[in-house]
Amino acid sequence: MSQKSNLKKLKRNPSAGFHAKPTRAKSTERAISWMFRLGTYFILLCASVIFLTIIYKGSQTVFQASFPFVNIEFLTEAPQTLHVFEYEGEQMELSDSNFRVFEEERGVEIDSTTYAYSGGGIWPCIVGTVLLVIGAMTIALTLGVLSAIFLSEYSKPGKTLNAIRLSILNLAGVPSVVFGIFGLGFFVLAGPIFSFSPFEGYDIRFWPLPIYFGFVGWNVSLIAGCFTLAFMVLPIVISASEESLRAIPQGLREASLALGASKWTAIRTNVLPYAMPGILTSSIIGVARVAGETAPIMFTAAYAMRDQLPWQGLEKWSDFFFQGVMALPYHIYVVSAKIPQNEYTERMQYGTAFVFLVIVAGIALSSILLRIRMRKKYRW
Amino acid sequence: MTEEGENNRYDLHSRRRQFLGIDKDQALKGLFGGNAIVSIVVLALITFFLFKEGAAFFGQYRENIDLYRRSGIEYVDIMKEQSESYSELNRYLNSIRSEHATMLREEGLSFADARAKLSGYEDFIYAIEDLGYPVSEYVLEMSEVAVGARDMYEDAANYREHRENLLELGRDEEAAEVEVLDVDLSLFVDMIKEGEADFLALNDALEAGLRERIADLPTIGVESLDAKMQRFGELALMFIVEMERTEQLLSDWTSEKRVGMFTALASFVFGEDWVTNSSIQDWYGIMPLFTGSLLVASIAMVFAVPLGVGAAIYVNQFANQKEQTLIKPYIEFISAIPSVVIGFFGIAVFGQFVREVSGWAILSGFDFFPISERLTAFTAGCLLALMAIPTIFTLAEDAINNVPKSFKEASLAMGATRLQTTLRIIVPTSLSGIISAILLGFGRVIGETMVVLLCAGNRIEIPDFTNGIGTFFEPVHTMTGIIAQELGEVVNGSIHYRALFMVGMVLFVISLFINYMAQKIVLKYQVSRG
Repeated sequence: MSQKSNLKKLKRNPSAGFHAKPTRAKSTERAISWMFRLGTYFILLCASVIFLTIIYKGSQTVFQASFPFVNIEFLTEAPQTLHVFEYEGEQMELSDSNFRVFEEERGVEIDSTTYAYSGGGIWPCIVGTVLLVIGAMTIALTLGVLSAIFLSEYSKPGKTLNAIRLSILNLAGVPSVVFGIFGLGFFVLAGPIFSFSPFEGYDIRFWPLPIYFGFVGWNVSLIAGCFTLAFMVLPIVISASEESLRAIPQGLREASLALGASKWTAIRTNVLPYAMPGILTSSIIGVARVAGETAPIMFTAAYAMRDQLPWQGLEKWSDFFFQGVMALPYHIYVVSAKIPQNEYTERMQYGTAFVFLVIVAGIALSSILLRIRMRKKYRW
Repeated sequence: MTEEGENNRYDLHSRRRQFLGIDKDQALKGLFGGNAIVSIVVLALITFFLFKEGAAFFGQYRENIDLYRRSGIEYVDIMKEQSESYSELNRYLNSIRSEHATMLREEGLSFADARAKLSGYEDFIYAIEDLGYPVSEYVLEMSEVAVGARDMYEDAANYREHRENLLELGRDEEAAEVEVLDVDLSLFVDMIKEGEADFLALNDALEAGLRERIADLPTIGVESLDAKMQRFGELALMFIVEMERTEQLLSDWTSEKRVGMFTALASFVFGEDWVTNSSIQDWYGIMPLFTGSLLVASIAMVFAVPLGVGAAIYVNQFANQKEQTLIKPYIEFISAIPSVVIGFFGIAVFGQFVREVSGWAILSGFDFFPISERLTAFTAGCLLALMAIPTIFTLAEDAINNVPKSFKEASLAMGATRLQTTLRIIVPTSLSGIISAILLGFGRVIGETMVVLLCAGNRIEIPDFTNGIGTFFEPVHTMTGIIAQELGEVVNGSIHYRALFMVGMVLFVISLFINYMAQKIVLKYQVSRG
């Protein structure tokens, strides 16, 4: 080794001259640290494989090479049966409605092979998921944030409060499927119904008002799903919001109170603004969780197939809430486990999974970015 | 108001507007408090509701098992068990033949030659098979009687209920038209019991025939197979002992003894069968589901613990700034992948991949490879590991991060290397946090539904642990999976419905226990930072 290169090495690593000979401890350290590194990168690799597979195969369904580059049909139509047939020597694939138009235009009857759920798109599923998320988060955030404010600001510390806190924290870890069976037993089969006209099985009439009441259940419906999902994330929202409220230094409250502000003014001006980013992050995590869960809506809200969109064919306004909806996660489950598999359903599966992943991951990513920004901004 | 205001010039509160004697602050407090109460009541309600629905299960299940006994199906099942173990005996014998056939084919013998070699002892096999027929036919007959009686009894009960409902509604005429038979189960049971002598006679004939046959076992001429044939003789003798035991059980059996609550409880907790929609008798034993859940979760933890904790240690102790800012959010981001997407990935890609890998020549040393199933406990376990890693990583990293800096500095100052500091100071100090992270990861895994529903193979059977590592590659069913799979189809209020609630309750209790333990461990062994 020439002197020049030795000098170079010394410049890069000034201690090289003294420790040039690797000791045994050093080499074990290096070996083990590499082991840890490989393990860590292995995790990232596994996750990336999943992401890339779904993105690669899914984008083939969602995007296309010619204008308008996005598969409009896939994003705006309902799932349909796919017809595959040969017409004038050409292999054609058409979803059910287009196939009928095609037949009518040509005035012919064509023999085709049909594949259930493989044509059309996933628009009703997207709509259903959005409605479920909006409904569930409205309920969960109202109840959750207000409860958190009460628990952290108004309630008296003591054994009861600790017990409540502990049980809420414990409930946050309960499996989602357990909330699912609760939702089925409680909302779907025994949800309370108020009505201005008598209905089958009502228990009470509020005499003399024409209001009837009974625990007859909400059936498989949007509202049952919303409530089930809301109670599933409620413990998470409460404990996370409370945590961000309690992270605000006590001094801020005291300073405000010392200036003569009322309790509410102190909370409104000196606590909530600083706790808001934390509450927001936790609620976005809640949104991601609500959008991503399948088990709670399987028996409370989701239909495998529904022709009409939620706002179509309503007889009265309340029907909007008491109807089942399609949802993205349940649709993925149905197309990947409940129907015969072939190359045509595979396109549908990957396309749905891709759209779903983009939605949920987008929400989660925004919460992670928000938290990173927030950590930099507020440091007590 | 003004007068009062002037009087209390220095009262800061006097200018507050009041409504019904409550000022704005109190009203807001009431609003928040009301919400808190609603939340807490709802969450308590969930717990209460689960327990209420679940608790009703045992009463119903006890009645169900009681009917099983009173209608004599239990009696028939004792006989059936014997005839099933006889079929198993036959299967063993047949396996010898098929092994021989494979052997001959590998030797390159033509079909006709192979047949000729096999025919030497085929008569023996057929004779053994024929011996069993009278008994199994008799059992089948009796089973029909008992099940028929039970069904009649249940129908009658339904009609009776229907009639009472009609009477309650005042529709007497319609009620009069409903015919209700009085089914006396004891008559049928007596009928079945009377046949016991016939059964004993058949059994004696079977025993005599079997003894006669095994007295001269045919020789095949291949050493390993002859050994198996000898083993068959031993098994047959064991079967004869079992026959005696069956006879004993039959004579001891009585339909009079009532089924207690404890039996119902034990049948749920330790029951090895989960059989639903059966025409004979439904069983709700949680054991196969529980072991399935446990097996899948353990596989997941085997991968998730080293990787998750290792990644936490690496990111916190070894990684440079750039790696940290990249890896941490990425792993947290993994937790956002919806479980159904991971399950779908398992069905579409990963299951196939595992099966292909198991066929590689390099792994042919393991006798359980290649595997035939695509969806097994292993497939689900690997995917669940990926779901548990973010939980374990985030919490473990937090715990490591919370170790006071002075600990590390002191250790480095003593001349310890970074690795020594990490393994001997940092990790032991944060061990309680790491353990609770692992526990919470386990809780997440055991409660996960969609991945196991899609990828675990859904076979309701206790995994055969005698297979060693091969056990991991068996399809299983899990507690969460069974709820998701069967809850959609059950009748409201039926035993099946309640049984699923009980399974949910078990899950609920397990997850509460895990969470509670995790918190306890953190609090108890927290390092004081003073």
